[in-house]
Amino acid sequence: MSASRSVRTGRLQASVTVRRGRLQAALTVRRGRLQAALIAVAMMPSLCLAQGRQAGAPVTARAAAPVDLTGTWVSVVTEDWRWRMRTPPKGDYASVPLNEAGTKAADSWDPAKDAAAGEQCRAYGAAAVMRLPGRIRISWDNDTTLKIETEAGTQTRLLNFVAQAQRSEPSWQGSSIANWQVAGGGRRGGGTPRGGSLRVVTTNMRPGYLRKNGVPYSANARVTEYINRTNEPNGDAWLVVTTVVEDPQNLTSRFVTSSHFKKVPDGSAWSPTPCSAS
Amino acid sequence: MNPVRSAVSAVFFLVISFTAVPASAQVDFSGEWAPRFWEDQPERVPGPELGDYLGIPISEAARLRADAWDASIQTLPEWQCRPHSADYIWRGPSNLRISKEVDPVSREITAFHAEWLRSVDRAIYLDGRPHPPADALHTWAGFSTAKWDGDMLTVTVTHLKEGYLRRNGLPRSDKATLTEHWMRNGDILTVMTIINDPVYLTEPFVRTTDYELDLRQQVPPYPCGVVQEVDRKKGEVPNFLPGTNPYTTEFATRHKIAADATRGGADTMYPDFLAKGRTQPIARPEAPRPGEADLQVRLLPVRGNVYMLLGAGGNITVSVGRDGVLMVDAGRAQMTDQVLAAIRQLQNDLDLRDTPLGSGAETRSSVASRHTEPPAKPIRYIVNTSADPDHAGGNEKVRMAGRTFTGGNVAGNIADAGEGAAILAHENVLQRLLEPEAGEQKAPPDAQPTDTYYTDSMKLSHFFNGEGIQLIHQPSAHTQGDSLVWFRGSDVIAAGDIYSTVSYPVIDARHGGTINGVIDGLNRILDLSVAEFRTEGGTLVVPGHGRLSDSADVAYYRDMVTIIRDRVQAMIDKGMTLDQVKAARPTADYEPRYGATSGAWTTDMFVEAVYVTLGGGKKPAPKPASPPARRK
Repeated sequence: MSASRSVRTGRLQASVTVRRGRLQAALTVRRGRLQAALIAVAMMPSLCLAQGRQAGAPVTARAAAPVDLTGTWVSVVTEDWRWRMRTPPKGDYASVPLNEAGTKAADSWDPAKDAAAGEQCRAYGAAAVMRLPGRIRISWDNDTTLKIETEAGTQTRLLNFVAQAQRSEPSWQGSSIANWQVAGGGRRGGGTPRGGSLRVVTTNMRPGYLRKNGVPYSANARVTEYINRTNEPNGDAWLVVTTVVEDPQNLTSRFVTSSHFKKVPDGSAWSPTPCSAS
Repeated sequence: MNPVRSAVSAVFFLVISFTAVPASAQVDFSGEWAPRFWEDQPERVPGPELGDYLGIPISEAARLRADAWDASIQTLPEWQCRPHSADYIWRGPSNLRISKEVDPVSREITAFHAEWLRSVDRAIYLDGRPHPPADALHTWAGFSTAKWDGDMLTVTVTHLKEGYLRRNGLPRSDKATLTEHWMRNGDILTVMTIINDPVYLTEPFVRTTDYELDLRQQVPPYPCGVVQEVDRKKGEVPNFLPGTNPYTTEFATRHKIAADATRGGADTMYPDFLAKGRTQPIARPEAPRPGEADLQVRLLPVRGNVYMLLGAGGNITVSVGRDGVLMVDAGRAQMTDQVLAAIRQLQNDLDLRDTPLGSGAETRSSVASRHTEPPAKPIRYIVNTSADPDHAGGNEKVRMAGRTFTGGNVAGNIADAGEGAAILAHENVLQRLLEPEAGEQKAPPDAQPTDTYYTDSMKLSHFFNGEGIQLIHQPSAHTQGDSLVWFRGSDVIAAGDIYSTVSYPVIDARHGGTINGVIDGLNRILDLSVAEFRTEGGTLVVPGHGRLSDSADVAYYRDMVTIIRDRVQAMIDKGMTLDQVKAARPTADYEPRYGATSGAWTTDMFVEAVYVTLGGGKKPAPKPASPPARRK
């Protein structure tokens, strides 16, 4: 069944042209159908987008992509330099809205202890890895999964466009659900999308660090990312990643940063490095 | 409400909203946005530390200039109420309000307005209007147009005044352009800024900044008054002589960061800097290649009936109105035909049937009803700011195209007296034209000033085109005969070659010019000027060469000239020879903006003129030309 078809051919469109008395009666009788039709209209953008591409065939996230994020990108560190380009000193958590528990945890950071416990990847989890200096490589793992590999800590993030049936064990990169934000709210009917961005929500992470010097986030943290691409007249392409971390356990408010990456022509300089606790 | 009726309304709403998608995206960025300082809080709120150039792709010139920056410069009257520029203010410590203008017919957003605490109103136009000509006034907000790129708004900003990349002295030049991408994700606004500056950056400088929607926020008013903050000698500009700033290493030491990294540069932005260190050598700042001669006449409105004519050699300032035409300078001789054609265009475009603001003092018919277009009013006056050929070279031909109205008690042949326009100048201009030096030609009689003055100033005896016009002599500046011309009603100053936006000031030491005279002249312009708001606008200044300016632009230039003077003076005090001074490159940080290695006025010539006129080499400064005997 196609929801959009039900709008086009169903009684809704016909009903609105009849006289008011009859319309009222028709709507009263068919209230259930009306609600269905309303939902269908509301869903129309994404469905029409799909239909515009290939009638009848299910459209994959890869095919529906309103923007191409794939390629190798290098982080350009023009902000927060002294907290990103090196391991900042213990207790240096400027700009991060830590609460008392978060402050206490940051003040007790012990990198040697992390290394000994095999926890040296704490600063490379999904809440922080995009903020670390290094290249990232974005590719399609399959038609419904976008993959981000990072040089920093040699991490791999899988962004799923289809919700996974089973919850996996918590991990540094957690579980990420992605969906396209099509420009104009997707209200274009068929044809080529006019651009858009990617929204990713990540949960189920192992507790980690927002910064390498032990600024904490908890296992209950939720990370929402918005990924935009720009194309400049000089040929440069940039990726802007806005990261929103919500973690009431350690933060007084959400923690928002935006990081930018410049597209590089190829992956020849790709040089992954292992996690390091200090 | 009847549930059925509301359901029908909802259906209509949804159907219409589906079918009526506008041709362009219309994301609403308007609202109250609060900065949250989740990035770089210490830099953005308390302020950056001195010597912190981390992660900015600065050129060596920018680095040198920042090293010479003294925070005390912000106590100068010209800088006290200065706002952050469009590129930096996103990163500043204040709340943001974005409002929108909506076209009542199409209901499309035609402009956004962004304002912060202590900012100017920044308009971002979406109505397709073009950017102004390159020679137009530059402002703190610049001139912004935008287009939709999906749901992202891409903004192009030109006409920026000089600003800063980081508010610890790292400069951003007025040659820079800015691109912005505005992205709204729910209640979060992310703005990406990309600065391209051919003077002080080696690569585009990119930042992304986040704001959070805050419905309870207010952007309060921020009046700013200028006061005398520090008791200092007039004309003094705080700065550190090269190599003497004791604070440039404090940041590296305090935070235990490699000193090389804190010096900034493109290398420091990239992750490879961590492993490889600096891979690009720090390049010595060089002057840009000189462009082709700017010999294409173009008109730029300045204010009211005052216009600027560029591309004829030196700039020409023109007043056109019911009383006729007054020109400040006449351009090069070979450009006169183009100049006269441009003036004719202005004369013809002038609608004399409409009574302008402030009627002409000499016009008695402004109340008369007119049914046909009257003939154009003639060129009545030419004022020479100096005797240089790029300013006075067109005197003869322009004069002959004009007319002087005479009568009454005129001795001699009254017809001769009325031939051509009057030429006004300081009498040292006349002397120089009458007594040229070797290699120069004596000016023909019709190129010579007809009315000269020898006092501090001269005023036209009555209003011309509705305003008073005053010539102010600035002794021993560019030459010995310089005049500033002040249009007192329009509040426009024609500065002649005391002020330029394209080169270091030309100091014609052979004809009495001195560096200190130029600085005095620039300070005189600042004394006469009143800014409209936040230190910009208000009094407008037409430079001898280059784009239209205001007092903030002149202040930057005054600072630059004063700082270089201070450096050369310090070198003279150490007993350095001219060659040693040149080798020390006292202009290095300004070189990509104002320097030249070839052409009529090179950096070496400028440094030599500064050196000589400060008494360098223990040789007395060239004696200024003797003024002619004063009239009784």
